[in-house]
Amino acid sequence: MSIRAPRIEFAVGAFLLLALGSLLVLALASTNGRWGLGSDTYPLTARFSTIGALRPNAPIKIGGVAVGHVDKIDVDPVKFDTVVTLAVNKRYDKLPADTAASILTSGLLGESYINLAPGGDPDSLKPGDEIYLTQSAVDLIQLVGKYMFSGGGAKPADNAGQAADPSADVPDYLKGDAAPTDETKSK
Amino acid sequence: MPFVAATRSLGRAGLFSLSVFRASKPTPDFFKELVREIYKIGARSLPIIAVGGAFVGLSVTLLGYRALETYGATAQVSALLGLGMYRELGPVLTALLFIGRAGSSIAAELGLMRATDQITALGLMAIDPVGKAVAPRFWAAVICVPLLTGFFCSFAITASYFESVHVIGLDAGTFWQVLKDSVDFVDDFLMALVKSAVFGGTAALVASYVGFHAEPTIEGTSVATTRAVVNASLLVLMFNFVMSAFLFR
Repeated sequence: MSIRAPRIEFAVGAFLLLALGSLLVLALASTNGRWGLGSDTYPLTARFSTIGALRPNAPIKIGGVAVGHVDKIDVDPVKFDTVVTLAVNKRYDKLPADTAASILTSGLLGESYINLAPGGDPDSLKPGDEIYLTQSAVDLIQLVGKYMFSGGGAKPADNAGQAADPSADVPDYLKGDAAPTDETKSK
Repeated sequence: MPFVAATRSLGRAGLFSLSVFRASKPTPDFFKELVREIYKIGARSLPIIAVGGAFVGLSVTLLGYRALETYGATAQVSALLGLGMYRELGPVLTALLFIGRAGSSIAAELGLMRATDQITALGLMAIDPVGKAVAPRFWAAVICVPLLTGFFCSFAITASYFESVHVIGLDAGTFWQVLKDSVDFVDDFLMALVKSAVFGGTAALVASYVGFHAEPTIEGTSVATTRAVVNASLLVLMFNFVMSAFLFR
């Protein structure tokens, strides 16, 4: 044992120390610090009719500050709405029972996140509780489509003097019983 | 019968790997060899890993900046850097550099030991040549490559920090915050270490298998060195795809 060259031993020791030190610095400075053991979060659930582009690990924010992340996303096999499990940091365990959850998007093309708007209820949400006040994701493309196809239907000359007839936008094949009366009117 | 021959050589490699595990006994002699191998293939690989990591970090930063500029999302360049480094580039490039630096030397050493009948002599003295010559190199690689990957990533991130903050002019606080938000400790950081341990073990096993079974001639040694580098690099790239497909959904 003692004939081992001390220079090599020192070099190996220095190498291992340096390597472990750099791993430690990397782990602290460049990761999100979710060590995976002994979680410091508690679960809450929320139901949405549609979640848009929300994905697991998306942030949960109160007033723009991240307070947790989305743990998992499931579809209820009976009601077919999506059940989102939120992992909220234990520091924020006094959320009022009437807290509202909504799915928002940061910026025009940014990532989806869940915004929590705390209410004024004196009772607070316990781990595992469900948030009842929810607002689903808004599909921007659908909104744009609705706006374009509902606004451009009628020509300006048709309803110059009269209020717009809401049935004017409805295609004939959808009118059903109303269709014949429409025909007689135009004749 | 090329198929039978290929299957047999695969089986030989598998049995050789098994014999390496069986020959790894924690004796004082084993630890003495282990320390020497960690010095030779780990500590001496540090400069090439550091320089390689720094330049990879610089070029990934330039590339990411150019691509993200289109969407006005240049602040996300550190997310691209962090995920790219930990998930793919760090483990793979470290393993490839390690194969070029240490895998070739393992194959050459064992090939020369074979050519000069040292392996036969060890066997004659009732010393298991696998336990004496191969097992310490294998475990040294399994220990060293994750550590070297850590060096690779830290040099890459440091170099990228200087590039993006002091040359391109991004905000330093945003750089670190975006990096922290996007890199998960378990899914990205720990998986990078697991990946590189597997790559290190693969590289060492391939190199020592090829060297151990080299033709006992001068030419056999050089053929073994070439084959060690080629086969180990290809295996690492294939394993990387398989592990990425399973680890990162």
